[in-house]
Order: sequence, then C-alpha cells, then structure tokens
Amino acid sequence: MTDVSLRTHAAFSSPVGERIRTRAALTVLALVFLALVLILPLAAVFTEALRKGAEPFFAALVEPDALEAVKLTLIVAAIAVPANLLFGLVASWAIAKFEFRGKSFLVTLIDLPFSVSPVISGLVYILLFGAQGFFGQWLAAHGIQIVFAVPGIVLATIFVTFPFVARQLIPLMEAQGTVDEEAALSLGATGFQTFRKVTLPNIKWALLYGVLLSNARAMGEFGAVSVVSGHIRGKTNTMPLHVEILYNEYNFVAAFAVASLLAFLALVTLVLKSALEWRYGGELAASGRH
Amino acid sequence: MVSLPRAGGTNGIHDEPRHRQPVRIDVEELGKSFGSFTALNDVSLTVRPGELLALLGPSGSGKTTLLRAIAGLTATEEGTIRFDGEDATALGLRERRVGFVFQQYALFRHMTVFDNVAFGLRVRPREERPRAGEIARRVRRLLQLVQLEGLEHRFPSQISGGQRQRVALARALAIEPRVLLLDEPFGALDAKVRKELRRWLRELHTETGLTTIFVTHDQEEALELADRVVVMRAGKIEQIGTPAEIYEEPATPFVCEFLGGAARFEVEAREGETDVLGGTFPIESDAGYSGPAIAYVRAHEIEIVSREMAEGVPAVIRTVRPFGPTITVELSIEGRAERIEADVPRELYDGGEIKEGQGIFIRATSARIFPAG
Repeated sequence: MTDVSLRTHAAFSSPVGERIRTRAALTVLALVFLALVLILPLAAVFTEALRKGAEPFFAALVEPDALEAVKLTLIVAAIAVPANLLFGLVASWAIAKFEFRGKSFLVTLIDLPFSVSPVISGLVYILLFGAQGFFGQWLAAHGIQIVFAVPGIVLATIFVTFPFVARQLIPLMEAQGTVDEEAALSLGATGFQTFRKVTLPNIKWALLYGVLLSNARAMGEFGAVSVVSGHIRGKTNTMPLHVEILYNEYNFVAAFAVASLLAFLALVTLVLKSALEWRYGGELAASGRH
Repeated sequence: MVSLPRAGGTNGIHDEPRHRQPVRIDVEELGKSFGSFTALNDVSLTVRPGELLALLGPSGSGKTTLLRAIAGLTATEEGTIRFDGEDATALGLRERRVGFVFQQYALFRHMTVFDNVAFGLRVRPREERPRAGEIARRVRRLLQLVQLEGLEHRFPSQISGGQRQRVALARALAIEPRVLLLDEPFGALDAKVRKELRRWLRELHTETGLTTIFVTHDQEEALELADRVVVMRAGKIEQIGTPAEIYEEPATPFVCEFLGGAARFEVEAREGETDVLGGTFPIESDAGYSGPAIAYVRAHEIEIVSREMAEGVPAVIRTVRPFGPTITVELSIEGRAERIEADVPRELYDGGEIKEGQGIFIRATSARIFPAG
C-alpha cells in the first residue's frame, strides 16, 4: 500500500510541466537570444564609448553641441510628458466613466501612434506646418516657425508618446468603475474633491508607470523627430539625432558616449518600471474590489 | 447583541436639529428607461417618516433603479420625488443629503476606516466643516454606534465583510443624512453574518429613527426586517404591504410565486370557486369568475388525512427531511409531474407513518386562487 502510493507520488509530475531536458533547452535558448540581441549591443555601447578612456568620453558629453542636445531633449520631454499626462487622464476618464457615441473609435484613435510608422508621424507635421503645407503660408506670414524648430519636435514627440498614459489608465479605470466616485459624491464631495481624493489615489501607480514609459519614449524618439527637426546642430538636435550625426562623422567615441547616456536612461527607466510593477501589481490585485 | 448607545439628545448622531424629524418620501409617477429597456414604469409610492421599507423583486425588476433614483444617483425621465413635500428631483446628489450604502460598500481602499467615515465631514465647504477635533469625536461616536471601536487605523482590505458593511453604514450616517438607502445590504455576506447583521440593522434603525429603504432579492430578509415591503416586477409595483399582508394575501400570482414555497396548480373555476387537493376555495379577487384559474398551496397548508375520509387525494411520500420542528416531505400525486412539499407535524413522523415510499391521503386546508391570464 505504502509502496504504491510512494511510487505514484514519485512518478507524478504537473500535467503542463515539461521534461527537465526540454526545460533547460528552452531556458538556454531564451538566454542566448537575449544575450545576442540585447545585452551584447548594450555592452558594446559602453565599451565603444570608453574605448579611448574616460577623458574623451566626458569631453564628448560636455562639448557644447552635446550639451545643447541634452538640454533640448529635456525640454521636449518636459513639455511632451505633462501634455500626455493631461491628455491621458482626460481621455481615460471619458472612456472609462462615461458612455458615449464613438467611444470605441476614440479608443482605436488613441492606439494610432502605435501602429503608424514614426516617420509618417513626422511627415504629417511637415505637410501641415511646413513651408508648402496647409498652414505654411499663414504661419510664415505671422512669423511662427513650427517645422525645423522646437515646436515641431515637441509636437512630433507628443504624437508618438500619445498612447502610453491612456493605455495604462483605461483598463484600470474601467475595472474600477464609477462606484467609488458615486460614493464620494453622495457623501457631499465636489467633482474636484472626488477626483483629488478618490480617483487620483486609485490610479496613481498606473499613472506613474504610464508617465515613466512615456518619458523614456519621449527622450529616445528618433524617427518622427528626425523628420521635423532639420538637424541643425546645437539648435534642433535632440540626443538621438546628435548620436546619428556624430556617428556619420566617424566620431565613434563621442557618438557612443552620448548613446551610453541614452542607454543609461533606459536602464534607469527599467529599474523604476520593475519597482513600480512590484508595487503596482499588489495595488492592482487589491483594487479588484475587496 | 451588544446594547447600542442611545440616539437623540447630545449623544445622538443628529447634531443638527433641522434633520431630527424623519423624512417622508413621495415618489410620484416615476419613469426611467435605459434604451429600449423600461426600468421604471409609472411608479408611485409613499414612504412614511421613520419607516423601514424593503424593495423586493428579482433582478431587472427596477428595485435598484428606484433606490438610485431616490438617492439622485440615477436621473429619471418622468415623475417627481419629494422629501417632505420638497421636490428632490430638482436637487443634485449633494443637496439631497442621502446616506447611501452601496452593494459592494465602495469603501475608499486607500483610506483607513477612520478616514472613510470622516470623508463626508472633511469635504464640506470650509464654513460648514467641523474642526478636526470635532470630526474625530463624531467619527469615534459613529464607530461606537456600529461597534467598530479599535479598528480606526485598519484599511478596508484588513477587515471582514461584515465589518466593511458597518464602516459603509457609519460613513453614510456621518453626513447626518435625511434618509438612509441601502442597496442589497447583505448580498455579499455569508449566511451567519447576514442573520446577525439583519437584527443589528433593525436595532440601528430604531436607534437612528431615519426613514430607511433597502433593496433585496431575498424574500425572507424583506419579510423579517421591514415594516412594509414593496414587491416589484418589470419596473412596476406589484404589491405594497406589511410582511403579514404580503405573505397572507399576495395580490398577484407573481407575488405568490416570488415568495416561494407554494405549489402551483392549474384548475378550473366555476362561479368564483374551485377545487384544489380535496378542498374547495373561493376566488377572493373575482367572486363570480368561471374559467381557467391558478391555485397556490403552501407546504403548511397541506394536511395528511386518514384513509377513511372521502375528500383526501392519494399521494406517495418520495423524500423526507426529518429536521426542525416540522418535517418537510416531498410528495408525488397522480397526474402531476412536479412534486409537492408538505409540512408534517413531528408526532406523525415519530409515529412511524412517514417514510419514503409510503402511500397517504392529503388535503389542502387553504389556497390562493387567481383567474388565469
């Protein structure tokens, strides 16, 4: 009796579990792939940047054009991210809490920047605001320059990073429904009090997560920005564009030095994202209506 | 049950004299539809001051919509709701000052029990807002009222379902509401906690004296707890009455069936009378009616008669449930597919006459007859 139960126990394995050998093979395959495609290039960026020692590395970073590029990148992110934060909040509020005609169309529209090539996003702005564009003449007459200037870069960046915040918030807000808001209103809170004291705390981690992703993309965007920027050194160059210029000039150390700064930003984002996921994962589970 | 602190006077939850008198609610010809679905169809109803009223009905009967309309959470297209004669439909959600307890409680999960209860006081405009010390005093008193002292600093996820329910109640009472509305107050709780909270809510209602309306789909809950019960069906009121009236004199076949425990018979009536299970009963709603009719006989209205009496109907005992003060048996009779439940006195069971497979004779002592169609 004991014999039998022991044997069945030893022979039992989870029905979805694979053999040890298969498991090991799959894990190794995934790791090798990751090493080749992700870790190796990342390591290459840093080794290339430091190939000639620390001095040229830092020299490339503090060089005026590089500093301008960093400054411009920060300015663009500082405008695009809050703009998307605001838009994301408003759109997800409207989508999650109200019923209206054209709602599913709006949801699809929010996803558009994900499905359209960034180059096309940039071209759209040229078509609209460029010298030969729809508003070109009017803008020129009023001395406003959008394309090949900072406003164009900001617009293109906003367009590309459009979905990040809304995409994070919509599913969460839809799952939470409106009952907490109803409770707050029935207790006498104003609309703004309800938003500040009830809605915002309920979504804060998802919001932060969306902002983080949106920021990483805003700083790293190349395609759309490249089309509208005009690549004017020290004026309309963001960091990714600056890297390209340096690279095309065979200035590898400087190119990789600036690139390593971007890579470093990506790593920081990744760490923050994991930390948030850890935190926000618990919050999400708890928000499933206690 | 632990005794509750007395309401009223300086110790009461109604510090403001203007809300001390319980409010009378008049619902006049209320109508509401969601697209092509009619949720409320010309509903009129008066809730007496200080009454504990149950809205009873199956899902989709409009009971929750009616409750939400009274609260101001759902806008209605037709009709008026008056609080003490004042048109409440013109008032916004905030001005109505209604204490609403949501089905899943809707506690603010990022706030402690204390902060949840204090919420309604803290969001008041500055000039009406009590000082922090006063808020703390009131919250403590409310937590005492709902017997949750010591749990102030817990979060909703750290307390039990029954405790959450009481936090939701305390939070609703904190705004000194004019009326208290509860949506399925016991829906999310297990059977034992339900029974306890039911009694407790009854006591709380006596303490606060507030006009209180609650929604339920559980007929037992409605009959046990409420002063009066409103039975709803498909957006209309089917019957309003005290629990005894609803139970003894159901106005329609629907009420009869919804209350449950009654066997349904399709019979022929002649001149206001019909025969059911060996008895003859009048149609009270339509004295001279002849034609097809529906009869309802409850388990306790079936008696077992001895063989010698002529009017008994032969039946066979199929199952016996031998617990409780009366024994419930399931019977099958000829010409009827569904079984009938009957309550049998314990003595008969103890006498050994009640066992599965035994043939007996039964007779209805009372029945409710409605003209069919």
